[in-house]
Parts: sequence; C-alpha cells; structure tokens
Amino acid sequence: MKGSVFPELVHGRLDGFEQGAWILEPGSVFRGGARCNLGERVLTVPHGDDPVSRVVRAHELAHIRVSPFLREHTPPDADVTDRALECAEEFRINLILARLGFDVALLCDGSERPGGQRLAQAGAWGEIVCFLLAVLGTGAESEFLRGVRSVQPTWVAGLRSLKKKVNAMVGDLDTRTLGDTTLDDEGRPVGYTNVTVPIARLISRSGAAAAPEGPDELRVFRRSLELDSRRAPSGVFAPVLFDESMPYVVRAPSPGHRRARPSTSGSVMRFPSRLLTDPLQRAFARKSAGAGGVIVIDQSGSMDVTVEELENLLSSAPDALIVGYSHRPGDAGVTPNAWILAKSGRVALQARSGNIGNGVDGPVLQWALRQPRHGGPVIWVTDGQVTDSHDHPCHTLSLECAVLVQRHRIRMVRNLSEVAEALRGRKVAKGVFGRVGRELAAIQSFVPDTG
Amino acid sequence: MATSEWEIGQCWIDVTDVLSAGVGRVLLYGPPGTGKTYAALKLGLARGISERLVCTEDLTSGEITGTWMPTGAGKWEWREGPAIRSWKNNSGRGGRLVVDEVDRASGDALSTLLAMTDSQESARWRNPETGQWVKPGPDFSVVMTTNAEDLEDIPLALRDRFPVAIRIDRPHPHAVATLSDDLKGPALHGSLGAADRRVSLRSFYAFDQLRAKLGAARAARLLFGETTGQAILDALSMGALD
Repeated sequence: MKGSVFPELVHGRLDGFEQGAWILEPGSVFRGGARCNLGERVLTVPHGDDPVSRVVRAHELAHIRVSPFLREHTPPDADVTDRALECAEEFRINLILARLGFDVALLCDGSERPGGQRLAQAGAWGEIVCFLLAVLGTGAESEFLRGVRSVQPTWVAGLRSLKKKVNAMVGDLDTRTLGDTTLDDEGRPVGYTNVTVPIARLISRSGAAAAPEGPDELRVFRRSLELDSRRAPSGVFAPVLFDESMPYVVRAPSPGHRRARPSTSGSVMRFPSRLLTDPLQRAFARKSAGAGGVIVIDQSGSMDVTVEELENLLSSAPDALIVGYSHRPGDAGVTPNAWILAKSGRVALQARSGNIGNGVDGPVLQWALRQPRHGGPVIWVTDGQVTDSHDHPCHTLSLECAVLVQRHRIRMVRNLSEVAEALRGRKVAKGVFGRVGRELAAIQSFVPDTG
Repeated sequence: MATSEWEIGQCWIDVTDVLSAGVGRVLLYGPPGTGKTYAALKLGLARGISERLVCTEDLTSGEITGTWMPTGAGKWEWREGPAIRSWKNNSGRGGRLVVDEVDRASGDALSTLLAMTDSQESARWRNPETGQWVKPGPDFSVVMTTNAEDLEDIPLALRDRFPVAIRIDRPHPHAVATLSDDLKGPALHGSLGAADRRVSLRSFYAFDQLRAKLGAARAARLLFGETTGQAILDALSMGALD
C-alpha cells in the first residue's frame, strides 16, 4: 500500500477532530469494500494504482475531511432515519469529490442494476430512495435506475423528481460550504447540518411515503417534496414505540371493591376458612366481573387524558390496562407514540398529551388484543378515524382496524365518559361513526355477525 | 488551520519542560523530519551556542574530543573537538552538545561519547597538549537524537545515561511557520503515519518552494514520484476543498 493514500495529510477541519496516525487496512473497489472509521482512525481502502481505486480512496479521504466524528454532532432527529442520514452523507461526499475534479463516474461496481431490480421486486421503495441518493451523480446512478425501471417503471418518475429536488437544494452551494466543519451555535458542524440533514429529512419522508404510481399520486408526491409541504401518504401504520419514561404511582384500591369473590369452584383454594363458615363453602376465588379489560385511547388531535379521568376509569375497572396512543406524523422512530396510563394497580403520575396524528391505530389494537384482559373487554376510545404514519386517512388501514373490531369484538366508544357503560357490556355507540364505523358497517353487511 | 492543529504536541511540551527543569541528558527519538535536531540546538538554551556532532559509522574519537593539526614548520597544535568545546562554552560554565543519529556511531566512537556525556562528577578528560585535566562546566547539557522508532534499538549503556527519552512524533508548530498556510497542517502531521507513508518537514519545504515555480502536480511528481505524488496531492486537495 506504499504511497497510495495519506490520511494523515487531510487537514482543515474546524470541529475539534484531532489528526493522528491512521491504521490502514486493505479494502476493495466493490460496494462496501472501503470505509473510514473516524473514531478509531482506521481507513479501509483499495490499494491499486488504477483510477477507480484512486477515486474510492478519495471518497474515504473526503469523509476524513468533512464527516462528523462525534455522536453529539449528529443528535437524534425524529424526522430522519439513520439510513437516510448515511445515504445523504454519501451524496454530499460524492458531490464534494465531483467539485474537486475527481471522476465520480468511476464509482460503479456493476452491482447497481441487479441491486435496483432486487429492491424493486421486493417493493422496497424506501431503500430505493435512500440508495438513489447514495449513488446520485456517480456512475452507479443510471444503472441503478435502469434496474428499478425494469421491474417498477412507474416509480422512476418519482425518483427523478426527488433527484431534481436534491440537486436544486445543493446547486447554489460552493464546495467550502458543502464541507464546512465549523460548529454552529448548537455545536453541530455547519456543512453536515445544512446539507446532509435537510437532504436526509427529505429522503426520510419520501422513502416513508408510498411509491407514487399514477399521475395523481405523482402529483401529491412532487408537492410533498416542497419545503414545509405535507408529507405524501405512506399507506402504512408506524411501528409502535412505547414511552418507557412515564412516572407511575401505586393506586390505592377503591373502597368496597373486591377483586376476588368467593366461589364454589376454582383451581386454588383462596378462602379455606369458608369451608367451615360459609354454608355454600365458597372457598375458591374468581375475579370480579368488570374489574379488568383493556382500554385503548386515541389521543390524536388535542385529546388529553387527565389524572382525574384516569381515576374515574379505574374506579369502574381497577384492573383495567389503559393505554393511550398518538403518532407524530413522519416520525422516524424517535418519539414514543404509545404509553401505558394504568396497569396492574399503577397509574400514570401525570397526564400525557398526544402527538397530533393517529398513525398507529392498528398496531396498538393488535398489541391490546395480546394483553391479559382479566375478564374485561377491549374498549377503543376513538373518533373512528384512522390515519397512516404520515397522518393521511387511508381506506386500507381503516378496513384493517374495522376487521380487528369485528373479529375481536372490540367495543368502540366516542369518549371516556362512555367507557364505564361499555365496560358493563352495554351498547353505547349507536350507529356507526368515523371511517372505521363505515367500514365496519360494510363488513357486517357482507358477513353477518353470527355471534 | 484549526486551532487544535496549532497546539503544541505533548512531546514538545515534555521536551521544553524537561530542558527548562535543568535535566542535562535528554534523548529525542522518533521519525525523521520532525525537527528533533533543530529543537535540540535551540530549546532551553539560555545563552551560548550548541555544538553539534553527526554520528556515522566512520566517526572517530578524535572528531569528538579533538585532534592534532599541523600548523606548518613541523609544528602541531591540538584542536579541541565539539564535545570538549561544549564542556568549556559560556566561559567555562558549559554549553549544549547535540549528538545526531547516535544509533549510527561505531563502537569506538560510542565509548568516547559515553565518557563525554557522563555526569559532571564522573566525566573528565586530559588535554594531550597541556596535560591538564578538564571537566564539564556545571551548565553542560547533552541532547542526543536518533531516528530509531523504538528505544530498544538504542544501546543500553547510552539509555542508562539518558534516563529521559522522549519520542518526537510531529514537528514543532514553529517549525512550519514559514510554510504556506495550506501546508502547515499536513506538515505537522505528515510524520505521524506508518514509516512507508511519512512525509518529512523537509519534503514539505521543498514542495512549497517547487510548486511556486513549477505547479503542484509537477512539484509532487519530482519530489515523491508519480503515484505517491498523486496520492499526496489528493490528500492535500481535501484540506483545501477547492
């Protein structure tokens, strides 16, 4: 490797990175065959004296020059996925290389076309968006798009729109600005914060949206690329992320409420003294009816649940598991979107506000159905609206929830005041409400409820 | 250049502190081209000049302590060598003796060096011309330098006389002061890497001078060769970002 790369000579950073001796490891020109570990100063690069090896080495040297080296320089961003950040940074590096006169067209190892085909076959729109950015402007870009087009020709228009938007974002920036490592007022490197992060934000939301297929969807997708515009529909729920930081207190049992009632049969003899004292010899125990259940509360919009309301609910059902949910639209898995309000005699110490959107209705209902109910029902406090992870109403997702409601006899109520009645098994929501109600009605019109 | 790059490396802080503390026997070792000799000649020297010896396999004892020189008409005169001169410098208080490339000294020369660099109490030498015994002055100090990467490569007897050994892995920031701005940072760290990719301070000065007249590409090719020159330019272009 003699004389092929000089990482120690890369200078000019202004973010406190300390240059030192680098460890060189042999790498290759193939994708993933070269990398740069700034923390431990390990550089893995190809050592050939061919032009491709030289550009690959220059790519890694550019990382040494401009990429963040501390975790605190890249604080978690709820709108950005790690993968999007990684690919946006690749784009910035390749752009800097091109501006410095390196032939980035050589950055292509032949795997891009079949890679594009495989991703398109798997329907991995999100990864296609990310990978496109990682290879944008290099020799790999057109091959990758060819691969995608051969399987999903309708997706390419959206990808081209994204490319155009990203190129417009960086078109007016000079190379020094692109690679500026000065720390801003919040201690983050300027180039990374002003170039990589906004692009990563764009591709996070674009990749999380559903792939635009028809003219209408493409129009919505293109609009979503504009600054401060609404995200395009994703058509999927977000994964549930529980808030583990909620403080709880142990709730004093309600006076007069008995969780276990004497019974003449059972598996464990709870009250042996009753064999002598009770004429009916009710020595076994059974759980009180109506003491349990799972209450799922849609806290989207401005719906808060106060501590008093929780207390009222628990006075009706002390053993109930109460869970609230609301997804922050577009959140990339950073902001919790579900929280336990009461469980096993413990109750949340403070009220918990929602995050504007629904976004996780289906996954939370499925989670609730897996929980022990202590003889009670699953009650869903909802306005009957269901939205995707970008907070767009979605027919498919509404139907998915309606099927859950119908199949598992989930009781839908409009507000907390109706929960007590629902716990007692009384029908409180007359007629249908919301999209889910309409879907439910449609299902019931085709599939008679035989229960 | 970033502020941190201007900061003096720990090795130089150590050297300055040790010499300022009056430690009279210091060994500087490490990669070439980092300014060890320059520092040995200048740092911590309150007054007087330093005497310098460059060791080679051909170095003789006479070149260390002195030799008889013909003065004409069949007469000879004793000329003191740099070791004895440094003993006597500063009006007899002693000066600085700098011994470069000490690991290259032959056995004979090394034994003389050991005698010359011994402690003030032990070292003494008899002038063959006058017959007088001479001792090093109280301020006499010795700084030895070597490009050896490892202390193990230095003779044990020498290491014993030089208990303070400091590895110099980078040039002193003052040593790059007259380089062009874009080369200062790289020059400070060019010696940090493995031996096969070190770029010495001297090379940077030569590159700076040459590129002003011939352009960077040609200067790099002339100094480092085609492939290495290109690789060095690639790394430097990252720093400049233009």
